[in-house]
Amino acid sequence: MRTKYNIKWYGLFSAILLVAAGLWSATATAQDTIKVGIITDRVGNSAAWAKPIEAGLELALSEINGAGGVLGKKIELVYESDQSKPDVSATKARKLIDAGVVAILSITNSPSTQQAQTVTMNAKMVHMTPANSAGYLTTKLKNPYFFQMGPLGSTQIRTLMAYNKKNNFKRVALVKDNSGLGTYLGKIFRQSLEAGGTKVVAEQTIEIGSTDAIPQMQKVRAAKPDAIYHSGIVVSAMATFFKAYHQLGLKQPVLGSFNLSIPKYLEVIPGMMEGVAFIDAYDPDKAQSKAFAAAYKKKHGKTPFSLPAYGYDGLKVLVSAIKRAGSTNNEKLRSAMAATKGYVGVLGAKGQSVNFTKNRAGFSVDGAVVRIIKKNTHGPVVHSGTKN
Amino acid sequence: MEDFLELMVSVCEAGSIYGLVALAYQIVLRPTGIINFAAGEWAAIGAFAAVSFITWWKLPLIIGLPMCILAVGLVGWLTEVIAVQPLLKRDAPELSPVLSLLGMLIIYRETVSSVYGVDNLFVPMPFGFGRVELGSIAGTSQSFFIIITVVFSFTLVWLFFERTMWGKAFQAVAINRVAAALLGINLRLVTAMSFAIGGAVAGLAGVLLAPITSVHFLMGLPLAVKGFTALVIGGVGRVEGALLGGLLLAFVEKVTIRYAPIPSGLALGAPFLLLILFLLLRPSGLLRARGEQ
Repeated sequence: MRTKYNIKWYGLFSAILLVAAGLWSATATAQDTIKVGIITDRVGNSAAWAKPIEAGLELALSEINGAGGVLGKKIELVYESDQSKPDVSATKARKLIDAGVVAILSITNSPSTQQAQTVTMNAKMVHMTPANSAGYLTTKLKNPYFFQMGPLGSTQIRTLMAYNKKNNFKRVALVKDNSGLGTYLGKIFRQSLEAGGTKVVAEQTIEIGSTDAIPQMQKVRAAKPDAIYHSGIVVSAMATFFKAYHQLGLKQPVLGSFNLSIPKYLEVIPGMMEGVAFIDAYDPDKAQSKAFAAAYKKKHGKTPFSLPAYGYDGLKVLVSAIKRAGSTNNEKLRSAMAATKGYVGVLGAKGQSVNFTKNRAGFSVDGAVVRIIKKNTHGPVVHSGTKN
Repeated sequence: MEDFLELMVSVCEAGSIYGLVALAYQIVLRPTGIINFAAGEWAAIGAFAAVSFITWWKLPLIIGLPMCILAVGLVGWLTEVIAVQPLLKRDAPELSPVLSLLGMLIIYRETVSSVYGVDNLFVPMPFGFGRVELGSIAGTSQSFFIIITVVFSFTLVWLFFERTMWGKAFQAVAINRVAAALLGINLRLVTAMSFAIGGAVAGLAGVLLAPITSVHFLMGLPLAVKGFTALVIGGVGRVEGALLGGLLLAFVEKVTIRYAPIPSGLALGAPFLLLILFLLLRPSGLLRARGEQ
């Protein structure tokens, strides 16, 4: 009887010890790393964009931790997927804050990032988007804890317009698809072109899911434009556009949005986009880009494009701020981020840098570039900045 | 004139695809009375089969194309076994198989997105993408390939229904299921075959379209809508009605975009206006079944 009683107590004591050991171990692990929250999208509409950005984040992480981390600790990335849904994004921000992250990077779509800001602003947590381009992210909310590193949509359009002026395109056609973003970009293209004195002689919409774009492109051909602007983003509509372009024997130069910097289009319609000009934030000839490309190829086995560089630069800027702050205290980290000046990363045209000292949208207005597709790859930079 | 002939090639190309999807609807609908809204997803599965057989496994078109058609035919047959036959056996209400097939639509879509991912996938154009001119008629090699293949397929299906005993059995079931059963026609087999053939036909549409638009897990829905519209226009009673409906739909769609003095965004609504007009003025479609004439 006595032995049975002792066994019971030994068992209880051992269980308490085990739980205590587990708790101690968990606390020790948490203290050994600095957690950075990442709000990504793994299954929604932005998944195709977020995935390569994650690959860039992972490269930066391995380099930072390989060099000993920061403040004597390794960085740990904690991912949450918001499916590109704003309400989910806000919930995920709360979850990450509860998990003890010191800052959050949003690599999902702009509306979701905006919604997550409502949580991070309230928690006074440093929140940054490495890639979002919506201008309202730093203007709608007066949130001193939020920073934006990607080139603003307005910067991209101004760069393309400068290229347009340089080439003296006076009469252009505008083609878009009927997706939300494609329609929005089409409207911005039209406004910017007309404001610059360029006449839009034809505007055509390609339906998502249509089998071809022959009637639309016949109208474009009949209007005899100097160039064709394409603001669409949906791959299938893009495929029908280029098929019709070749079938109708069109020769006018095609200019596209920053969405064309994603290599998926080249994989799906190989050989059809030769000579197309598109906006990018990545100059492969820049020294930083060359070093990044070599490291990326070593880690992931393929040549990078702009999207992985957004993730890479984003984490590097954040870690640099943590280092300068000497702490992960919210206020100190915010001040260090706001003091970021002259950061020359992989992204941006040669000679341009990221500065948060004047504006929380830190990408240089002259940092975007225009590149040309050559031999079914993203070719060289042919123009940079917003000046002609 | 050259401009108009180019447009007519585009009309025939698009109309052929719409016609095939309409035919897939029709083959299932006539003997069973079931509207299979998953026909568009069958076409998408055909396109994904092309990604596997033609892009990844690099099979020549002459082998890859029949394999894709067989694969989707098998999917059609399995659909009947899983989602339709159990309901028919239990004498479920008429609407039950339609709802069950809507459920299958979601299952197909989620399955292909899990297996193939959410990105667009590439299927090569077997004969290149450049301009091909046949006298004053111009298109791409793929345009002409689609038109020839679809005319050939419709001829085969027409011969099946009009010239074979099996085809007659389908017609008999379509006219009166009970009388056909009393005559010894195996209703179970006819239903299963209608799903298999319907799947094969829709799969062919997907394979033909894949090199033009690329392949995506959401590509089935627009095809289902256009195919159904073509079916309503052409009528459910005759094989040739599906093709006629597809061609008329494509004609109105393309000519409105090209020549109507309205913004192209608005012109995209023209096919649906046509659908409403047919539903109001001629709900039986352009061609009626022979028994109804």
